[in-house]
Amino acid sequence: MAARVLQQCVRSLGRPSLRLCPVNLALRAAVAPAVTVHRPFSFAADSRRTRWLGQSRISSVGLLCRQYGDLPPLTLETIKDRVLYVLKLYDKINPEKVTSHFMKDLGLDSLDQVEIIMAMEDEFGFEIPDAEAEKLMTPEEIVQYIADKKDVYE
Amino acid sequence: MASTAAARAAAGAAKVVKPILSRDLNEAKRRVRELYRAWYREVPNTVSLFQLDITTRQGRDKVREMFDKNKHVTDPRVIDMLVIKGKMELQETIHVWKQKTHVMRYFHESEEPRATDFLSKFYKGHDP
Repeated sequence: MAARVLQQCVRSLGRPSLRLCPVNLALRAAVAPAVTVHRPFSFAADSRRTRWLGQSRISSVGLLCRQYGDLPPLTLETIKDRVLYVLKLYDKINPEKVTSHFMKDLGLDSLDQVEIIMAMEDEFGFEIPDAEAEKLMTPEEIVQYIADKKDVYE
Repeated sequence: MASTAAARAAAGAAKVVKPILSRDLNEAKRRVRELYRAWYREVPNTVSLFQLDITTRQGRDKVREMFDKNKHVTDPRVIDMLVIKGKMELQETIHVWKQKTHVMRYFHESEEPRATDFLSKFYKGHDP
C-alpha cells in the first residue's frame, strides 16, 4: 500500500515537464531514500523512476541543463537537414535539384564530389576515408553513411 | 605481313610494365583524390602564410585548373608521376621552402597573352 502511494507520488512528479534541474534533483533525492526502504517493491518503483527520468529527458530536450559541453543528439531528420543545407550552399549545384545523383544528374566531376564530401566532413566533424567516400553519390547515401558512423537509428 | 603485325600488336598488348605506385587506374585515381584533398585544405594556410593577394576561392580555382589540365591522362604510371610531382609541390608549399613569387608564378600575372589572330601577330612581327 505504501508502495502504491509512492508510485502515485512518482507518477504525479513526472507529469509537469518543464522544471529546473536543482528542483528535479531534490525531488529525486527525496524519492530515492523513501523507495529503498521497501525492498520487495523496489523493482516496480525503479521502473517507474526510470520511466519518469526518460519522460523528463525527452520532454525537456531544449532545456537540458546537464550537457557537459556536448553537442545536441543527432537524429535522421537533423542529419538530412544539415546535409541539404551544405549542398545548397555549394555554388555548382542548382538549389532546386539538389537531391539527385551527383555525377549522372547534376553533371559534377569526381573532384567536385571530393569537395562535397570534404564539406560534409567539416560540417559533422569526423574524417571520411577516401575508399568509402568515393561511393557516396547521392545525398541519401551520405545521410545513411553518417547515420551508420554516428549510430543514429530509428 | 598482316599476321606478323597482328602478332606484334598482341605481344605489345600482353606486355606488363612495372608500376610506379599504383597497380591499376582506380588506385591511381584514389591517389589523385587524396592529393586534391590535401591541396584543398592547404590553400587557406598558404594564402595567409605567404601573405598572397588572392582570395582562398581564387587559390582553390587555380588548384582545380592545374588538376583539370591533366584530366585526360589514362596511364596509371603517368598519373603516379604527376601525383608525385604534385606532392613535391605541396611539401615545398607547406614547409615554406618556396617564396611568394614561386607560388604566384602559377597565376601568370606578368606574362602578356599570346596573340592568336592574324592581325595581332602581324603587328607583333609574325612571331610563331
